[in-house]
Amino acid sequence: MDSIFSYLNPDAPGGATGPHAGMKIAVQPTIGIAGWPARAGSEALAGYLSAGSATVIDRLTQGGAILTGLTHASELGLGVDDTSTSGRAVETKTVHAELMLDMAGEARLSACRGNLWGFKPSWGRVSHTGIAGLIPSMEACGILAQDPATIRSVLKTVAGADDMDFSQPRLDYKEISADEIKPAQFTLSVIGEAATLLSGDERKEFDEEITGLKRYGFNVRTVSWPDYNLCLTVHRIVGSVEASSAAGRYDSVRFGRRAPGTKNWNEMYLQSRGAFFGTLLKSYLIQGAYFQFERYDAYENACRIRARLLKEASRLFEQTDVLVFPSQKPAQPASLDALYEQFKLTAHANVTGCPALYMPSACAGGQGLEFAAGYGADERVIALGEYLHRQRAGGKL
Amino acid sequence: MEFEAVIGLEIHIELNCATKLFCDCPNNPGDDANVNTCPVCLWFPGAWPRLSRAALEKAALVCLGLNSEIQPESAFDQKIYYYPDQPKGYQLSQGHLPLARGGWVEITDEDGSIKRLRIHHIHMEEDVARLVHEMDGATPVSLVDFNRAGAPLVEIVTEPDFRTPHHAMEFLKILRTQVRYVGSSECSMENGTMRADANISIRPVGTNQMNTKVEVKNMNSVRHVGDAIAHEISRQSAAVRVGETIKEHTRLWDPDKKATLPMREKFEAPYIPDPSIPVIEIKPEEIAALRSRLPEMPATRAGRFVKEYGLSAEEAAYLSSEPETASYFEELIRLGVAARTAMHWVSTQLLPALRQRNEGLAHTLVTPKRLSELLAMLAKDEINAAAARDVLAHMFASDVSPADIVKARGLGQVSDTGELAAMVERVLAEQAAAVADFKSGQSKAMGFLIGQVMQASAGKANPKVIKELIAQKLSM
Repeated sequence: MDSIFSYLNPDAPGGATGPHAGMKIAVQPTIGIAGWPARAGSEALAGYLSAGSATVIDRLTQGGAILTGLTHASELGLGVDDTSTSGRAVETKTVHAELMLDMAGEARLSACRGNLWGFKPSWGRVSHTGIAGLIPSMEACGILAQDPATIRSVLKTVAGADDMDFSQPRLDYKEISADEIKPAQFTLSVIGEAATLLSGDERKEFDEEITGLKRYGFNVRTVSWPDYNLCLTVHRIVGSVEASSAAGRYDSVRFGRRAPGTKNWNEMYLQSRGAFFGTLLKSYLIQGAYFQFERYDAYENACRIRARLLKEASRLFEQTDVLVFPSQKPAQPASLDALYEQFKLTAHANVTGCPALYMPSACAGGQGLEFAAGYGADERVIALGEYLHRQRAGGKL
Repeated sequence: MEFEAVIGLEIHIELNCATKLFCDCPNNPGDDANVNTCPVCLWFPGAWPRLSRAALEKAALVCLGLNSEIQPESAFDQKIYYYPDQPKGYQLSQGHLPLARGGWVEITDEDGSIKRLRIHHIHMEEDVARLVHEMDGATPVSLVDFNRAGAPLVEIVTEPDFRTPHHAMEFLKILRTQVRYVGSSECSMENGTMRADANISIRPVGTNQMNTKVEVKNMNSVRHVGDAIAHEISRQSAAVRVGETIKEHTRLWDPDKKATLPMREKFEAPYIPDPSIPVIEIKPEEIAALRSRLPEMPATRAGRFVKEYGLSAEEAAYLSSEPETASYFEELIRLGVAARTAMHWVSTQLLPALRQRNEGLAHTLVTPKRLSELLAMLAKDEINAAAARDVLAHMFASDVSPADIVKARGLGQVSDTGELAAMVERVLAEQAAAVADFKSGQSKAMGFLIGQVMQASAGKANPKVIKELIAQKLSM
């Protein structure tokens, strides 16, 4: 268990009632649980205990769910690396579902790594309260599970308006079930520019996955999103700027450890701040500070391009029910460039705020697919996932 | 070469809301250290701010009270800088889309003309924590008090329309009055609920140059603002005359040395949009509803006092300078006190006495009703003015009615001519020299004789009756 969990719930669960009675949940330590450690994989938060529980945690426990423990996180939840155990608890069936931050694709990449289903909701669909993220305009509480029905069930409980989070858009979210999916009338579109990012072998695997979809009767076409690759650039600039700002609060004075041997209070503050971040995170934050202080024009341009990408994505979703993207298992990131290499097929959903679902491959060693729907159409991608999951269970693939 | 100054002000006003700007903690910075805190104002991991509607409304009233145009959309940004009083690394402020743009305040210039000084914009922001540096024995200790962190502020940024210290001082006085009128802040520079920074540059008279400006901080009174600006104009002029280049930087006003001293280089923090607080959308009907809550503003009220009550412009401006004073004055009139009597007693007796006692109109026992009862007794000659002042002095300490105080202290005025005639006879007999002076045409002697009779009556005699009696006796 310790290889999966950084902290195990000391309270023996039992007697809970509700829609999630008996459901075991693992939680990434970026999501607050009152009184539990909230180190978020960072020395800068060593010893910090959550002052309160995130709304998602309150809602799940009120629904009868059992919090099994905290996983090991990559530093402040950024990227998927070897220190992160995200997905392992679900993979080993120790828990039924796991909650984790998805800031650039982490939940979907962790699902891909563990051959699980992974979901990132629309931005603001799930309350941010109590979740310690780095990129507030792009992050969402992701859900990992062995099947999309569990994801739907967890989403139903954790989603919705929270009086503690004024940033949530007030949208009417349309329920849609797997029974309503009619392949002949359901449009799936592959972004051609995303597919070109794959190597020859990867492309071949992706094509096989698409062939599988077609076998179910879906009409899969290829569409163009000429600016697709700008999603990653925009994410890298805007994300690092927001992260540089958001990580400012982890000053290693009120949380974590203070720098030793300083002569006075001012020196202590200056030397402690940022001293205990790892090299990869430091690189990311320095990049953000560079755009903040030296190339603000580039940040402004990235924001403008992001607004344009949102419009372009909306137009694409007017013509298709769901966009289909290839996936890649994340490699251990040794540099900032390698970190962003992980996100090249996932960052689009964080930049646009759209919901996205990772579906594991039915083939051994396959990379799986990612489905994205228009902003607020969370249930549409989940319904598609449920439909495909059923078909697979019926042995049709 | 003659120089003129180009001055702009940045004024921070702390809104008198019950709670902080982004959480429900009490907005009482003066309480015991760090009692008014929560995960949001301490910016713990996962804390998510929630904008206070009350703060937004109070800020909007400030904007309307200063003739500023509330924007249909405004938004918060992260102003990125780090300091131990701002340990989350950014301050939530409105850098790109302020709550309101434009606006103006009219002042009376030194030559008596009216000058309109323009406001560039007004935005909301959160206050920072307070640093306390103490000694624990021989060890210096630095502490952070987060009670003030997240307190709601508005910042008023003016156009560089000011040319003299007088402009800045008058602007601050009028602005303070107008903000107090709308009820959004106490605006006390002494208590720190209003803080002003000045940006000052100089240029040759008659040119339109905009030269390098120097920011001056740490001015704790309107007078300090004037003194600091005057000093800075003089310092920059002297520097330019000897060929020095003015560099952009920030200086601190030292009231003891009566000088501005260099603090640091000017730092321009970048602003990035904050995604945690939604864009603030204010519809025209909401602005109209807020506007309907504005009280009659001081200049309008002063004009009405001149027209309705026959006060001079100066008297009306004085009574209108504080909303409580103006309302008190009008309540006295409503209770039947003559306007000039009310003006006289409020400005020369009541307000000085309150200042001496360090009290305000809001909490004094001398309510308009009680003061009107006292002034009614004066009007009916039941007491004289000296007795009324004596009674007023006792009214601050208890809520006993003025009539009972008069009775208890035996201050009722003696107007009985029989009783007073004997006193007059005696005084005239004792003061033969004064009587002779009066008879030889020295009218001032009458005052002396009245005073002697007043003294003989222990201050209770009706001076009008005494005067009549003396005049009768001496004309016989």
